[in-house]
Amino acid sequence: MSNSTTTRRSFLKDAIRRFSQNRLALIGLFLVGFILFLALFADLLSPFAYDRVYFDRVLLMPFDHPEHPLGTDEVGRDYLSRLIYGARTSMLVSLSVQMIALLIGLPIGALAGYFGGALDFVISRIIDIMTAFPALLFTILIISVLGGGMLTIIVALSISSWIVIARITRAQVLTLREQEYCTAARGIGASEWRILFRHLIPNAMSPILIAVSLGIPTAIFAEAGLSFLGLGVNDPIASWGKMVGASNAYVQVYWHLALLPTLAIALTMLGFSFLGDGLRDALDPKQKIRV
Amino acid sequence: MLGYICGRILALMMILLAVSVIVFSLMHSVPGGPFDERKGRLPPAAKANILKKYGLDQPVWKQYINYMSHAVRFDFGIPYQRPHTTVAKLISKSWAITVQVGLTTIVVAFGFGILAGVYAAYHQNSWIDTLVTFVSSLGVTVPNFVVAMWLILVFAVSLDWLPMGGWGSSGQCLIDKYFCTDWILPVVAYAIAPMAIVARYTRASIVEVMGEDYVRTARAKGLSEVKVMRKHVFRNAQIPMVTALGTEIPNLITGSIFIESTFRINGLGKYFVTSTLNRDYPMIMATFLLVAFLWGILYLLTDIAYTMIDPRVRLGAKSLS
Repeated sequence: MSNSTTTRRSFLKDAIRRFSQNRLALIGLFLVGFILFLALFADLLSPFAYDRVYFDRVLLMPFDHPEHPLGTDEVGRDYLSRLIYGARTSMLVSLSVQMIALLIGLPIGALAGYFGGALDFVISRIIDIMTAFPALLFTILIISVLGGGMLTIIVALSISSWIVIARITRAQVLTLREQEYCTAARGIGASEWRILFRHLIPNAMSPILIAVSLGIPTAIFAEAGLSFLGLGVNDPIASWGKMVGASNAYVQVYWHLALLPTLAIALTMLGFSFLGDGLRDALDPKQKIRV
Repeated sequence: MLGYICGRILALMMILLAVSVIVFSLMHSVPGGPFDERKGRLPPAAKANILKKYGLDQPVWKQYINYMSHAVRFDFGIPYQRPHTTVAKLISKSWAITVQVGLTTIVVAFGFGILAGVYAAYHQNSWIDTLVTFVSSLGVTVPNFVVAMWLILVFAVSLDWLPMGGWGSSGQCLIDKYFCTDWILPVVAYAIAPMAIVARYTRASIVEVMGEDYVRTARAKGLSEVKVMRKHVFRNAQIPMVTALGTEIPNLITGSIFIESTFRINGLGKYFVTSTLNRDYPMIMATFLLVAFLWGILYLLTDIAYTMIDPRVRLGAKSLS
């Protein structure tokens, strides 16, 4: 037991060392930290409420008005505040989607991979059907059925994201259950559940965590994209994607309406991708980074 | 080989069937529909008439069978948003534009992507290599509607060189109504992500192949550089390129939705969004089946392309893993 903890700790130390030597990963960590900070403290940081409307201050350019450093939007809401609250929407949706995907996908994938049989057959066919189709369209279908709104988006995105986690967990468990330590555990009389939860899942965790962290930018993109199309969160909730979509009509004069939220989306997605890539290189050194 | 393809087509049919059942039952599982009375009250008789006209008064399974028996004959019904035309007509009209957008994008993405990848691989660690790597990691991560907005801001708003939107309506075209100035921004915005992926794959696979022993042997026996590249490097580097092709082309289908929405192009992607917003069941159903079909066919085609490029790959053979 003590032996296993020392090796695990040294692996973790090793991973932290690898991560901290990766410049892009550190940039990613910084960006993600900054976005999370904005999302968490949006109420304290933003000068106005996200839905506070000033009818006499519609479509101000940045620096036009001392109270609105980044201008106002087409109905007179402070753009800086909307950008900060947009971080909250983006993080709320993407993090909860990945959390739900993990909570559903991990046990289902593990059970399918470990016990096989009819359960595995059914789950594998579900995965087949879902991967035979672009995930984004499936999300749009669910939204068209359930109607828009933050909760629907989280549900719809979770339904398509757990598949990825389940598939990876299943593949991991499938290969790990043939390992010698598994046979050894069985030999000393460990129960099936103990083997699954104490031996297989902890060993399968690295690739699963990597998939979760790389799933976050996908979810950010999905939320922004859906809101951009008008299928996302409802007014007056601030969403970067919706801000880009709304800016389309004003872009010829009010360029800041388009530029600022697109920069926010791009930086957030870059940050999470760098972080995810860095985590992958740190946690899974065996996997060669090819492309 | 033929047996394998038949098997795959059969599997595709099964998936289409499953998709149609899922889509159909999802759409009918919730209350509300295109004629719910949120937007205004209808007299009960008029409502019953409308429901009867569109077959919505029958049980769901009967509606499904009814729908599918027509769908196999390419009769997808009447779109609720435009009662004076048919879904098939609407799709075939908008489809042509989406295909134009998609094909131009594929040609641009693969042309420039392969070129950039080859150049970067050949001049490793030069500034061009760094530039290709940088642009490609940006292109992979940043969504295409964001890139589209940036292009609009630079080339349409501040420089005023190119139109902001439309498709084939700028009046300045190469041939008739094709290859117009308003094609440039959508295609570039659309092409950046696949181009980035193709460039990355090409660079990685060429770098890998260039380090192989047989390339050194080819150089050692005095082959010219062009011959080494063409006969030994490219031929083997093609395989990962086809992988990129296979995974990227289906992705273009979903990408088109955003591009068409940003540049106000009246293609299939735009109708996809409007029919979703209006819960236009016949349109949703038809577009979903079409996309599932294309998605499956494209994956099948790439698998076939594999065998043509790499004789070692044998489709249908039992794999060990």
